[in-house]
Amino acid sequence: MDGLLTAATAGLSAGGAYAILGVCAVFTYRLVAVVNFTGAAIGATGAFAMVALIEAGMAQFPAIVLGVLAGTLTATAIGVVMTRWFSGATASTKAAVTAALLVGMIAVGLRLTGGQDAHLFPAVAPGSAFRFAGVEVTNAGVLTVILAVVFTFAAETFLARTRTGLRLRALSERPMAAELMGIPVRRLAITVWMLTGAMTTVALIIIAPQRSPNFASMSLLVVPALAAALIGAFSSFRAALLGGLLIGIVEGLASGIDRFSQYRGAVPFIVILAVLLWSQRGARWDEAR
Amino acid sequence: MKRILAWAGAAAFASLASAAATGSAVAAPTCENGTIPVGAVATITGIVNFSDAPNGAKAVFDALNAEGGIEGCKITYTIADDKGDPAVAAQAARDLIDNKGVVALAGSASLLDCAVNAGTYVRRGVMSVQGLGVDPLCFNAPSVAPVNVGPYTLTTAMGYFADTVLESEKLCAFFLIIGGTEEAYQEAIANYEKLSGKKIGFVDLTLPAQGDLTPYLIKSRDAGCDAVVTNAIEPSIVQWVNTADAQKIEGIDWLFLAPGYTEALAKALADTEQPIYIGTEWEPYTEASEANANWDAVMTEAGLPKTAFSQGGYLSANVLIDVIKGIDGAVTRESVTEALKTMEPISHPIAGSPYVFGDAPAHAPMQATKVMQLIDGEWVLKTQDWLVLPQQN
Repeated sequence: MDGLLTAATAGLSAGGAYAILGVCAVFTYRLVAVVNFTGAAIGATGAFAMVALIEAGMAQFPAIVLGVLAGTLTATAIGVVMTRWFSGATASTKAAVTAALLVGMIAVGLRLTGGQDAHLFPAVAPGSAFRFAGVEVTNAGVLTVILAVVFTFAAETFLARTRTGLRLRALSERPMAAELMGIPVRRLAITVWMLTGAMTTVALIIIAPQRSPNFASMSLLVVPALAAALIGAFSSFRAALLGGLLIGIVEGLASGIDRFSQYRGAVPFIVILAVLLWSQRGARWDEAR
Repeated sequence: MKRILAWAGAAAFASLASAAATGSAVAAPTCENGTIPVGAVATITGIVNFSDAPNGAKAVFDALNAEGGIEGCKITYTIADDKGDPAVAAQAARDLIDNKGVVALAGSASLLDCAVNAGTYVRRGVMSVQGLGVDPLCFNAPSVAPVNVGPYTLTTAMGYFADTVLESEKLCAFFLIIGGTEEAYQEAIANYEKLSGKKIGFVDLTLPAQGDLTPYLIKSRDAGCDAVVTNAIEPSIVQWVNTADAQKIEGIDWLFLAPGYTEALAKALADTEQPIYIGTEWEPYTEASEANANWDAVMTEAGLPKTAFSQGGYLSANVLIDVIKGIDGAVTRESVTEALKTMEPISHPIAGSPYVFGDAPAHAPMQATKVMQLIDGEWVLKTQDWLVLPQQN
C-alpha cells in the first residue's frame, strides 16, 4: 500500500503539468472554439527561446520575460492564422489545422534546437516543498498545481462575471452573430490566444527542468493535456484540472506496478477512450432504441 | 676507386630491385578511372543529427586524396541522408550501390540503416564498416561490422565497470526499448551476470521516451540499487539527473552510455553532486592524448568540430583505407569485400580493441571502453587503461 501511495505521489508533479495545460486547452476551446494541438508546442517555443537567450549569455530574469514574450508571439501568430483563414471552419477542421501546425512546429523546433542536444533549463522554482510517502514534492510541482488552480478559478470567474467574458462566450458559440452585434471578434480572439500562449509558456518554463529538454517531447505534452480537457468535456475547467491531476497519478501508479508500467504511455489514450465511450453512451443507446 | 663505385652501384641496384619486389609482393591496388567510390548512409536531418560521423570520414578521405590517394586512386565519397525514414534509407542504399557503384560503405551513422539495409548489403555483396552502429542489426548481420562498441556491449561493459571498479553489489537497469532492441539489451544484462557472477537487481524495460521520470528514480531508490545503468539519451540524462537531485537521492552511481558524453551535457549538469559515469566508444575525445593526436590534426585541418561521432567516422575511414591498400589488383566491390572478410585485425590508438571485419554471421569487434566521470561540469578520465571485456565462451 505504501508503495502505491509513493507511486501516486510520484505521479503528482506530472499531473500538475497536465492539469495546467489541460485548463489552457479548455480555455482556448471555450473562447475561440479551437481544439488546440499546438498548446504545448507554443510553450516549448517560448521555453527554448529562453534557453537560447541564456546560452547566449543573458541573465535569467530578462531571458524568462523574453521567453514568455516569444511564446505569446508564437501563439498570436497561430491565432492570426486561425482567425483570419479558419474562423468560419468547423471545429474538426480547426483541430486538424492545429494538428498540422504541431507537426510542422516539431519538425522545425527539432531542427533548430537539436534533437539529441542537452540544454540547461534553469530551475525557476528550485528545491522541494515537502516530503510525502518517501517522495520529494518539488516546489515546481506545487507551483504548477497552484497555477492550475488559480487559472481555473480566474477563468471561471472571468467568463461568468465579466462583460468581456460574456462577449467571449458569445464569440465562441455564435461567432457570426457576435460579429454582427458589433463585438470586436478578431481582437478578442487574438487576445485569448496571447493569454493562453503566455500561460503555457510560463507553465513549461516551470516544469522544463524536470522534463526531457527536447522540443518534441515537450510539445507532445499536449496529449495528456487534451485528455485532461476531454475529461472536462472541453467545457468544465474544474473537471480538466482534476482530470490532469488524475492522469498524472494514474501514470505514476502504472509505473509503480511492473505489470502495467510498460503501458504507462497509453494512460492518456485509455482515458480519452473511456471518456468518449461514456459521453457517447446516451447517443448510442438512443440509436439502439 | 672504380671498384668502390661498382660496389655502390651494385648495392643501389640491389636495393632498388628488392624494393620493387617487396612492392609488388605487398600490394598494388589499381582502379578504373582513377577513383574508388565509397558511400555512407547517415541520419542527418530528422530527430537526430549524426552528420559528424560521415563528415569525419570525409575529412580522412580528403586528406588522403590531397596526398595523391591510394596508388593514385582518389576516393570519391558520397554521404546519403536517410532522414531517419526507412523508405529514404532503403532508397539511399540502392542509389549508392546501383548509381554511385560504391565498393564499400564507411562512416555510416544512422538510427536505422542496418535494420533497413543489412539484408540488401548481404544480397549485393557490399560491406559496411559502420562508423556508428546504433540499431541491433548493426551488430547482428554478416554485412556490417561497426567501429564502435555499441549500446549493447557498452551496457555489459558499464555493468562490468560497476562490478570491478565501483564494487557495486546491486546493479539495476532501465532501458528505453525502441523497435527490436529488447532482446539485445536482455542479452547484454545476461552477459553482465555471467561476467560478474552477480544477479541484476531488476531490469525495467518500460522507460518512456518522454514523460516524468520521478516514479523510476523512486523505484531504483526503494529497491536499494547501488548502481543504475540506463540507455537514456542526452536530453533524458539531464532530466534523469535533475530528477535524482530533486528527489534528494544519494548513494546510487548512475551509469550512462556513450550518447551522453558531450560537452553540452557536462555544461547542463555542472551543478549536480550525483556520481555520473559514462562509457565511451573510443579514446575519450575530450582528452588531449597521444592516441587522439592524428584525429585531432585531421579534424582541425578540415575545420570540423571535435566530437565523439567524428572519431567513429575517422576510424572507419582509416580502417577501410588500410584494407584497400592491402588489395593486390583491381579495387572492386568483390575485391574489397573479400579483403574485409580475410583481413587481419587492425589496431588503432583511438580504439581499445583491434578492429576486424572477418567472415561471420555477426560482428562486434569492439569490446573495450574508457569510463569518464562528470565532476563539476568537467569530464574526468576514471579508467586510465582500457576496460576490456573478458572473452566469454
